[in-house]
Amino acid sequence: MNFNPCTKHKTVRKTVRNFVETELGPIVHEIDQKARFPWEVVEKMRPLNFFGLQVPREYGGAEMDSISYAIVIEEISRVCAAMGLCITVHNSVGTNPIAQFGTREQKEKFLPQLASGERIGAFCLTEANAGTDAGGVETTAVEDGDYYVINGTKIFVTNGGICGSALIFAISDSENQRSSNSVLIVEKNTPGFSVGEIEDLCGMRANPVSSLFFEDCRVPKSNLLGRKGDGLKIGLSTLDSGRIGIAAQALGIAQAAFEDALKYSKERQQFKKPLSTFQTIQNYLADMATEIDAARLLLYRACAIKDAGKSFGAEAAMAKLYCSTTASRVTGLAVQIHGGYGYSKEYDVERYFRDAKVTEIYEGTSEVQRMVIARSLLSKPT
Amino acid sequence: MKQTAQDIWVFGDYRNYFQTRVTLQLLSRAGDLAVKTGSAVCAVVFGHNLDEYVKEYIAHGAHKVYVIEHSSLKKYSMENYVWLMERLAKEYKPDIILVGATSFGREFAPRLAKLLGTGLTADCVGLDINEQGILVQTAPAFGGNLLAEIITPERRPQMATVRPGTFQEIPHDYERKGQVIKIPLPKDLPKERLRLVHYQRKPHRGQRIEDAGVVVCGGRGMGGKNRFKKLFDLARLLGGEVGATRPVVYANWTDPELLVGQAGKHINPNVLFSFGVSGAIQHTAAIRDAGLIIAVNKNPNATMMKKADVAIVADANQLCMALIKELKKRIRS
Amino acid sequence: MLKMIVCIKQVPMVSELNWDPRTGTLKRDLAEGMMNPACHHALEAALRLKELHGGHITAITMGPPMAEEVLREALAIGADRCILLTDKRMAGADTFMTSFILARAIEKECPDFDIVLCGCHTSDSETAQVGPQLTEELKIPGAAYVEWLELKENVLRMKRLSDNFLETLEMDLPGLVTVTTSHYQPRYVPLAGLQDAYDKCDIITLDADDLKLKIAGIKDSPTRILKVYSPDSEKKNIEMKGPAKKIVEELLDKFGRKIGGEIQKDLKAYGQEQ
Repeated sequence: MNFNPCTKHKTVRKTVRNFVETELGPIVHEIDQKARFPWEVVEKMRPLNFFGLQVPREYGGAEMDSISYAIVIEEISRVCAAMGLCITVHNSVGTNPIAQFGTREQKEKFLPQLASGERIGAFCLTEANAGTDAGGVETTAVEDGDYYVINGTKIFVTNGGICGSALIFAISDSENQRSSNSVLIVEKNTPGFSVGEIEDLCGMRANPVSSLFFEDCRVPKSNLLGRKGDGLKIGLSTLDSGRIGIAAQALGIAQAAFEDALKYSKERQQFKKPLSTFQTIQNYLADMATEIDAARLLLYRACAIKDAGKSFGAEAAMAKLYCSTTASRVTGLAVQIHGGYGYSKEYDVERYFRDAKVTEIYEGTSEVQRMVIARSLLSKPT
Repeated sequence: MKQTAQDIWVFGDYRNYFQTRVTLQLLSRAGDLAVKTGSAVCAVVFGHNLDEYVKEYIAHGAHKVYVIEHSSLKKYSMENYVWLMERLAKEYKPDIILVGATSFGREFAPRLAKLLGTGLTADCVGLDINEQGILVQTAPAFGGNLLAEIITPERRPQMATVRPGTFQEIPHDYERKGQVIKIPLPKDLPKERLRLVHYQRKPHRGQRIEDAGVVVCGGRGMGGKNRFKKLFDLARLLGGEVGATRPVVYANWTDPELLVGQAGKHINPNVLFSFGVSGAIQHTAAIRDAGLIIAVNKNPNATMMKKADVAIVADANQLCMALIKELKKRIRS
Repeated sequence: MLKMIVCIKQVPMVSELNWDPRTGTLKRDLAEGMMNPACHHALEAALRLKELHGGHITAITMGPPMAEEVLREALAIGADRCILLTDKRMAGADTFMTSFILARAIEKECPDFDIVLCGCHTSDSETAQVGPQLTEELKIPGAAYVEWLELKENVLRMKRLSDNFLETLEMDLPGLVTVTTSHYQPRYVPLAGLQDAYDKCDIITLDADDLKLKIAGIKDSPTRILKVYSPDSEKKNIEMKGPAKKIVEELLDKFGRKIGGEIQKDLKAYGQEQ
């Protein structure tokens, strides 16, 4: 077992860090405050393969291994979690399912545009009465000749306001949910597809999270991903991968908060001594660093298992649970170490603190991760 | 037995004469060194119509001036000057060659050192002679926090470049006598492979930072490009100029022209404000001659704070804004 | 085909290295490496020439094995071939020896080059000597501090700022240029290119024996470092802290006359009137 990152991974980290610190660093406060999505940065990210991180080369992607993927998301999120969110959602749940489950025609049609970032992807599961419970989905996709007609409303869609295409989880027969759930690729210009208002959220404010409305939205049957009834299977598999991305995102936020806290504790003086000389603060810092390291190792393990082609659902859930919990704890402590300044918008820790919370909620709440982990534990023969 | 002391040479770099007096500064330091070694101080100058410079060099302490004058040397030429200097150095075997670290000198000196097969220390902040009669060259090392003492123990000549402003020139004395050795242009001077097609003096803006009475210097601690711009407001209020540190220039917060440091400008203002500057040697070496230094840094242990007369523990950006506000009030009153 | 060589140095990412004042040693290992900014610009200049005229770029670095990283980065953005010169015997080489070794490697691996591009100086030592010295080692024409360049047949046309003069120069090829950081803003590394640089490319590694070097490192360098020390010129100074407004008032009350001297205004006066 080798715990040293290979030089490739170190270089990936460095080059991504250089890009985001240069391009996003100077504007991150402004785009958070104004809830503005930075298209000008997206423009620069497109040719660098940020939108096709794991898409095969033949479709214009970078075909990265999963640890590289996690490092990219961590590094973007270390500077701007909202952009980290855009990229991970686009890649892991908006694009990769097409690469994994799509037909050759679907791949040729959709992947090049997604991998180049010409189109930003999204994935829609959550509804007013469904989310954690995929069984509660009410959006319908009813067959009509060569088309599916979609009706329903999806909420809290990450990248909702900017997506060029979205994967929609829907049912075709409300009596027969199990056998009729499907995932459909819907392009933005399809009549009947519309975007709701951008949500005013606590954190991740630069990402335009919105509702998506479908009113008699006719989608060709060729846009069905997998077969009818495969929806849950595709959804669950997608969520496993998605969790790796969110774990990486949470890790990036935690890392940023820790670095700021460490720096501040050395600069800030109280009782004529730097904060870092107080044992309580030292204990905080030690705990933060330990938890971040543990989180990172859990995450890389899940990535390694994924790349080995083995089932990684429970490991991804553990990584997501631990990384997001760590992000919340570490950002909380970072605010605490900064004291009053930490509560002020003048310092970045306040933003980290807001951004971290949602990592415990989306892509499966911490409670759901525990469910997944427990199910895996209990399903093993004793 | 000690051999007869060999000469100390200073390369006569006269382009930009009115702004860059580094040759005169080096002649002054060479004079100090020559006292210890018992050598003569020589200027070596190439070009056309050089009488004025030859006179100045003698007036500023040169005992001898080697001159190669020819109309074909009118334009500063790297290839010609390196070639000529190599030939002279091989013939007259000086013990030390000092070159001003102008743009020209910084290219000229390493090429010459290579041709003479000797060592070269760049950007010396100190030059001295030790008990063995060897030139001890003090230069910044390892990114700026440290100084290194460097020698060239065996090879000769010993060579160093020195930034303009590092040493003080001695007052001129036109009564001083010196020997002028005119050398004809060698006939075998090779054809140039690098040709100067066109040149023009760069139009420079109003006051130069080297002459400013007040300089407001900003470092990474200013926190960002837009925040850095406030320093210009402050400088304007005080009739001063803005300087920048290397990280600021690398981050493209401002023009590289404003770099204050070893690789940039040396300054000597009466009042220096230093905002969010950590204080690497390359920077502090370039502000040694500043009068009152007021440093602002969140970190009271920053090197710059130790170099300051007034060390203000505060956020550089906030303090800058508060100072602008207060100054406006007081200037109006 | 235009054959270009770009010399690259890996430098520590932080400008301030940690130094142990007790042992007098540098904690170099704490610093991450990166491509020296000026070298990065030189590579970018080469890439743009390649885009315009076609060509082949060989990137060369000399350093510890970890310096391989900057070569992978060079491959990722468009270098065609990379050479790593690494050998414990080369350690501690000064600029004189470094330019000597680089020249021998170039003569061995790419003797028919057209242009050698170097960064004008490195961010860690800033001597700016290796490029000009390499010019002499290779016995070719050279120009330092070049800001802009353009190729016309076999002549390289260049612009630079030299001691307040804007110069336009022409140079016969083969030749060497050292490039400043003013014009050739380096492109970012594409992630697909980076994967290829690691998974699909080989780096040629050469040691002193491969180059048949009899002399190489610190003991063959003309210069010696006698000692390295931290300059300690701490002043006895006045420290001020507290709210910004109060500090500013205190500062001007104490030093207003001196600060205002430059604009013929006693900035202290206001404080006294109150």
